[in-house]
Amino acid sequence: MDYLHTDWSAMTTNDWQGVFFTVAAFVAMVAVYVMVFNPKNKDAFDSQSDMALREEGEYNNSGDKK
Amino acid sequence: MEATQATPVKYDMDVVRWFTIAAVIYAVVGTLIGVYVASELAFPFLNFDIPEITFGRLRPLHTNAVIFAFGGCMLMATGFYIVQRTGATKLWSNSLAWFTFYGWNLIIVLAVITLPLGLSEGKEYAELPWWVDIMIAVVWLSYGFNYIMTIGIRKTSHIYVSNWFTMGMIVMITYLHVVNSLAIPVDWATSYSIYSGVQDAMIQWWWGHNAVGFYLTGGFLGIMYYFIPKQSGRPVFSYRLSVLHFWTLTFGYVWLGAHHLQYTALPDWTGSLGAAVSLAMIIPSWGGAMNGMMTLSGAWDKLRTDYILRFLVTAMAFYAMSTFDGPVMAIKSVNALSHYTDWTVGHVHAGALGWMSMISFGAIYHMVKKLWNTEMYSDKLVNVHFWVALIGATTYVVAMWVSGIMQGLMWRDYDEFGTLTYTFVESVSAMHPYYVMRAVGGAIFNLGTWIMLFNVVMTVRQAGAVRGVNAVAAKA
Repeated sequence: MDYLHTDWSAMTTNDWQGVFFTVAAFVAMVAVYVMVFNPKNKDAFDSQSDMALREEGEYNNSGDKK
Repeated sequence: MEATQATPVKYDMDVVRWFTIAAVIYAVVGTLIGVYVASELAFPFLNFDIPEITFGRLRPLHTNAVIFAFGGCMLMATGFYIVQRTGATKLWSNSLAWFTFYGWNLIIVLAVITLPLGLSEGKEYAELPWWVDIMIAVVWLSYGFNYIMTIGIRKTSHIYVSNWFTMGMIVMITYLHVVNSLAIPVDWATSYSIYSGVQDAMIQWWWGHNAVGFYLTGGFLGIMYYFIPKQSGRPVFSYRLSVLHFWTLTFGYVWLGAHHLQYTALPDWTGSLGAAVSLAMIIPSWGGAMNGMMTLSGAWDKLRTDYILRFLVTAMAFYAMSTFDGPVMAIKSVNALSHYTDWTVGHVHAGALGWMSMISFGAIYHMVKKLWNTEMYSDKLVNVHFWVALIGATTYVVAMWVSGIMQGLMWRDYDEFGTLTYTFVESVSAMHPYYVMRAVGGAIFNLGTWIMLFNVVMTVRQAGAVRGVNAVAAKA
């Protein structure tokens, strides 16, 4: 437990900023996991899986519409 | 496309063509310099006592050439290609794209001049003088601004995942490059980092590993998520997984740099944090690698005949291998053996030769056919290049893995009296066969890039000849 000991009274403004951004990044990452794994969002995401292929049908290599 | 257009769109592909040609040339030159410096390590007389071509000066030229010349032109070619095609729009500014092209190549020329002269800031992968650092920031921002503005004028409602990876790279590399390069100039050739001691080391590897994470991994994953579906004709296996892949890499990679500094003056907890997050990163990395490979579900038979697809899929295998190798090396007990040895060099080149180069070669062949609206001059040569590149990369990586582990074991071995069993010179001598093997592997890999250059040049000439014939026919 000594390894995890923190002298909270010695925390500077910079230290607290670091803690804030670290926790905020962690929360944001959890939010992304929830968003991606939410079954309600599955179709919305996977409907884009062929996006790179769609252009081929409508445009030639110069970008002109067929 | 999601949103149909009323008027045809004309892509700005000339600048993409030139970035692609430049990338092919830099692949040849960058790996050739690598072969020479590898040969210098095996046969030191190759220094010829000429300061400009000693290992210490040519090594950064090699790394700058392959990472920023070859890799940079590759990322800019594919970035401008993908953003237009997935957004159904031309570039926000074609002129700015040309500024990026000329600016980036000017920086490469300056690297070729300054590094052999011994002008170096001494920071790994950031050796160039302070005024070149400013030029890099300006040119990089021109690329990023143009890219993001092109996203802004896209005709599609969704932003494809490849563009997310590229934008992530643009934002993070801007931030990393500027912070890492902060220095006090003394004269045109000399500057001193504003950081000192352990802070300097931490900033150096915060930059160093994130250059790997966001530039050599994130940027090239953008290439992977576009070109594997395109070449295989299959949709991404799981688009959800690709979104997760992007965000977990973005949140995770920034923590890893400290694993380069285990057992140093850095606080112990930073190394532990770097190792822990490195291990956690295996999950999204392997998820992404599997996503790329599983995109071929139902189309695996194409690998028998589609040589371009072979490059792309082999790249995924090397990506998976490198993203397992790296986290294992970050563990403190393993790092105690691997650090400062050739194992690290083998790990880096599994990524550089196997992942980054292979995915680039596949993308180059795919783009050349599309950009010049023709077939490759020789599909057989694409196949020959594939096998030559694979044999060269494998030879190189195996040599360095064996050499590195042997080095580590020799350095830590001691006898019953507690004294070291081997002198350092004995360990150097033991490395010689593997250094020769490394040079041979690199030379084989370099041979493949010459084959690619020949094939691409002949393909472009062939396309030009066909266009000329058609023009004459049209006039008649």
